[in-house]
Amino acid sequence: MENIYLTIALAPLLGAIIAGFFGGMLGRKATHTITILGVLVSTVLALYVFNHHVLEKGEIFNQNLYTWMQIGSLNISVGFLIDNLTSVMLVVVSFVSLMVHIYTIGYMDDDDGYTKFFSYISLFTFSMFMLVMSNNFMQLFFGWEAVGLVSYLLIGFWHHKESAVEANLKAFLVNRVGDFGFLLGIGLVLAFSGSLDYAEVFSSLDNTTNQQLWGLDLITVICLLLFVGAMGKSAQVPLHVWLPGSMEGPTPISALIHAATMVTAGIFMVSRMSPMFELSDVALTVVMVIGAITALFMGLLGIVQNDIKKVVAYSTLSQLGYMTVALGVSAYSVAIFHLMTHAFFKALLFLGAGSVIVAMHHEQDIRKMGGLRKKMPITYWTALVGTLALIGFPGFAGFYSKDMIIEAVHFSSLPYAEWVYYAVVAGVFITAFYSFRMFFLVFHGKSRVDHHTEEHLHESAPSITFPLIALAIPSAVIGYFTIDPMLFNGWLDNAITIDAEKHVSMTELSNIFHGAAAMIPHAVQTLPFWMMVGGIATAWVFSLYRTQWADWVQNKFHRTNYALESLYGFDRFNEIVFVGGIKKLGNLLWKVSDMGIIDKIAVNGSARLVGFIGSVVRPIQTGYVYHYAFFMIFSLLIILTWVLFAGDNPLLQIEF
Amino acid sequence: MVSLSDYLILSAVIFCIGLVGIFINRTNIITLLMCVELILVAVNTNFIAFSHFLGNEAGQIFVFFILTVAAAEVAIGLAILTLLFRNKGSINVDVTNSLKG
Amino acid sequence: MMNTFQFDTALLLVALPEIFLLSSIVVILLVDLFLTKGFKQVTYYLTQFSLFITGLLAFNLIGHPETVIFSNSFVLDNMASVFKVFMMGATMVAMVYSRHYLTQHSLFRGEYFVLVLLSVLGMMVMVSGYSLLTLYLGLEILSLSLYTLIAIARERSGAIEAALKYFVLGAIASGLLLYGMSMIYGISGSLNISEISAFASDANLGSRETLIINFGLVFLVIGIAFKLGAVPFHMWVPDVYQGSPTSVTMFLSTVPKIAAVAMLVRILIDGLGAMHPYWSDLFMVLALLSIALGSVVALMQTNIKRMLAYSTISHVGFIMLGFVTGVVTGYGAATFYVLVYVFMSLAAFGIIILLNKKGFEADQISDYKGLSKHSPWFALMMLIVILSMAGVPPMLGFYSKFFILQQLVSAGFVTIAIIAVVFAVISAYYYLQIIKSMYFEDSEKEIVVSAPMDMKLILSINAILILVIGLFPDFWMKLALSLF
Repeated sequence: MENIYLTIALAPLLGAIIAGFFGGMLGRKATHTITILGVLVSTVLALYVFNHHVLEKGEIFNQNLYTWMQIGSLNISVGFLIDNLTSVMLVVVSFVSLMVHIYTIGYMDDDDGYTKFFSYISLFTFSMFMLVMSNNFMQLFFGWEAVGLVSYLLIGFWHHKESAVEANLKAFLVNRVGDFGFLLGIGLVLAFSGSLDYAEVFSSLDNTTNQQLWGLDLITVICLLLFVGAMGKSAQVPLHVWLPGSMEGPTPISALIHAATMVTAGIFMVSRMSPMFELSDVALTVVMVIGAITALFMGLLGIVQNDIKKVVAYSTLSQLGYMTVALGVSAYSVAIFHLMTHAFFKALLFLGAGSVIVAMHHEQDIRKMGGLRKKMPITYWTALVGTLALIGFPGFAGFYSKDMIIEAVHFSSLPYAEWVYYAVVAGVFITAFYSFRMFFLVFHGKSRVDHHTEEHLHESAPSITFPLIALAIPSAVIGYFTIDPMLFNGWLDNAITIDAEKHVSMTELSNIFHGAAAMIPHAVQTLPFWMMVGGIATAWVFSLYRTQWADWVQNKFHRTNYALESLYGFDRFNEIVFVGGIKKLGNLLWKVSDMGIIDKIAVNGSARLVGFIGSVVRPIQTGYVYHYAFFMIFSLLIILTWVLFAGDNPLLQIEF
Repeated sequence: MVSLSDYLILSAVIFCIGLVGIFINRTNIITLLMCVELILVAVNTNFIAFSHFLGNEAGQIFVFFILTVAAAEVAIGLAILTLLFRNKGSINVDVTNSLKG
Repeated sequence: MMNTFQFDTALLLVALPEIFLLSSIVVILLVDLFLTKGFKQVTYYLTQFSLFITGLLAFNLIGHPETVIFSNSFVLDNMASVFKVFMMGATMVAMVYSRHYLTQHSLFRGEYFVLVLLSVLGMMVMVSGYSLLTLYLGLEILSLSLYTLIAIARERSGAIEAALKYFVLGAIASGLLLYGMSMIYGISGSLNISEISAFASDANLGSRETLIINFGLVFLVIGIAFKLGAVPFHMWVPDVYQGSPTSVTMFLSTVPKIAAVAMLVRILIDGLGAMHPYWSDLFMVLALLSIALGSVVALMQTNIKRMLAYSTISHVGFIMLGFVTGVVTGYGAATFYVLVYVFMSLAAFGIIILLNKKGFEADQISDYKGLSKHSPWFALMMLIVILSMAGVPPMLGFYSKFFILQQLVSAGFVTIAIIAVVFAVISAYYYLQIIKSMYFEDSEKEIVVSAPMDMKLILSINAILILVIGLFPDFWMKLALSLF
């Protein structure tokens, strides 16, 4: 088996290397054939592994393959841990990646960076495999950084676009915050367990009992720090600001990286760490609340977006919030379940959006579309499947996963769970509203497409429509078929630990579950279903039936609208705190100089404060040597005073 | 009988004069060099005093080395001073502030 | 001190690298005098040759049992030998880069090489110094050579200004260091490190003795902090880095840091290790100040040399944090960090020198605009170096930071580690500026890389190794750990 696991990871890497170094020589056709072949091999083998582990209940594979370094007793290795969780992730990642590879042939057809792009996405696939297959924290972190790096490269892929570069930098910087939190968490894990291996860490969790750090339990601090990492990668409030910006990258990577796989790495990581999170109710509550905030408020932002990709991006944020909520209420398998269904239908929606964008000659404003249904039938029907799955229409994939999340919250006994329940139910309405608003505006109603584009409007090439169909099928049915084994029949049991006595959500869920088919008629009697119907109806009214009402509402509630359109001021807040704050700090000591990127992002208007404090502190580096000398000697005096008088050493008592 | 502490206080005073001289002086770089010398003299006083009262000659040997190094240091200092004068036409401390921030 | 003066030629072998280097310096100085204009390159090759042989001799002494000679004032242990080998290697690389710079800017003179060799000799003495006297002498040989090296660009007022500032502040710092030494001598009655150590670790130390040792300790720490360039004794660093000829900046920002760390180890750990609780607090404050100020102020710089100066200050903070831990592995982590830092810094300055032309210093960040277009290879090399400095895995720079942070956390300094990490995040911003210039901006100016083949080759190897060693860091970490 070991060789099979290795092949899964290395096949895309090989493809990436060949495409990266010899792409120019081989030409386009050979390049995409090789990379697709690499991913195809991985996909087939991933299915085999899935069969072996999940269906045939094979043994968990946990082995170090190569020792990277050995510091004292600390061993850092490259190793694989293949259990059912990993198997599920492997299938999802490889399948979506394969679809995106195929899709790219059509989508990037007219781009100069064709071979480079294939190389990047194959490299990404490799990194993602390493991340999910890891058996230790270090490799997890490396995979984490590697997927991040490829993601930055791809966001800035069209680097002649100013906005792409800015988005790229923003993604990099915001993720640094998350990554360092994550790294600190890993450091603390290392500190208490002396190891980075998952199995060893989980078996030494007893060491943390009754240990305190900063007034919190040690395990809480660790979980919170790890969760900061997850917040960065999985774009949870307030570290979510990079994800909408990342839409500047080509659409295939929005589907692969920023919807289906990389952004769910945080969800995966928390599930992997379930033995740790289970020990801390405080951490779980934080996870749940952050998730609920993200789910609700990011959905609201989706309503006011007019860029087709931005709408899907905000919906991704909101769905990630749902997954995080599921993690918070200890329904890890539900989170992974939603991760899986979401990967399919969100990749589908993104690729569908990409298909529309190509047809519209890279016009992304949904106000300038409309009536595309007739011109693009395949895109239309697949997008309908994706949308229904997203809003959780009974029977579709998203229905099962989302319904389970809502029910899980309902049963949770954590503090604030009640509020979170209302938030996620309200989220259903909002999801339905923005999804169908976009759907109606794009595909229905009168055409608002300009004349020139209208003439050339036609269905996309087969390499684009094939992945759409291939993704539409699981989006429709996968929930129905997998809900029972995945949640209640132990597919994930050997990877996830739940303290069933304290956190009862999963037990309660299995009590009320009577089969996938029975859920559909039952759903009609529940609140979420009617919220969804209400959302669709509202969307219909505002975008098709009485479009002028939308304007009226917008005018009437311009303040709310402003808050939404300015993204709740989060961007501005982050600019001030993370970028501007640092900048100000620098300015306090130094003169304002006009240069580069930081200035462009940073807020203006700090000049007066800067001038004042600057005039006080500026003599430090005046260039005059006597000031330097004075500063040195002044520091000496302060240090002397501190050292000699801080302790019980009264200087005056010395006698020689 | 002059006690050890008398020597130490003397040297501390010289040391402080040297230090203060460096940043109080805002005119001439040669004064800077003289202040540096004062600091070294203070240290030498310390060493000799300790050496004498400890009955241990290592401190006095150290002083010889410090004297030698001080001579070399002054030679280099004056050389830099000459170059400065050639470049800026002045040996005023205030002329050296083009590097800052 | 009643030691009988031992003189045994076999013992001299222990100091063979130093003796060889000193003789070569004399020979090179003489040879250079008789070389006519066309043959000045001979000095360069002789320099490289003697560095190489010295390194080889030092290499042979690795594994030699710890020996103290010259009346207990010169020690040879593994740390000394390994440091010397590293210093020789780094100096050789620095000389390869320097040659290009010196020829471009008509600074190619024999004295330059002789002064570099002299400062290397001073550093070797510092590394092996086992009494306050030898340490001081080594330090002065190093400092005096550096002052002169900076002023070697006689026509540049910036260089002269830098030399003057470095000289004045350096003299004050060594005055403070000496004052501290005199205090330690006065209370312990000895200049010898092992005797000081025996005195300081005496359990019956009275409060008066402790107080005076503390008093002296403050001065010693300040002297060392100055040499390292730690805040608040960092004022000279940016000015000197910016003003000096780039090749000198490269040299003085790299190799002397190893020597400074060695001096730190000799005085504060070998000598006053028992006083660790007293100086570690002080170190912690200086280290955090350095990391903070270095990270924040670097953000405001437009001059890349000055920016690297502030980045050095923040790196120094990390190195000092390794010594705060008070455990042997922490010291190992700090040593690893300094060696990695030297490696990265060499490559970074190498790229700056690479882009130099006659009458043009590539020292503005804006000079790197569009580098990825004009020279994609070296843009990639610079990218590796910058990412490494920012601490992005799997570059070498990540491990050094990780190692330090890991040691801090396991020694219980979690809050300190967090503060350090926060500023490490901030420092990512300014490193990003360079990457942005190189990859996302275009310039009208053509960038021509005119350096000779040997420099391009060594520079490429240097940068690639940052990545490659990053993939296999095991050996080097163990090496650093084995020194304590």
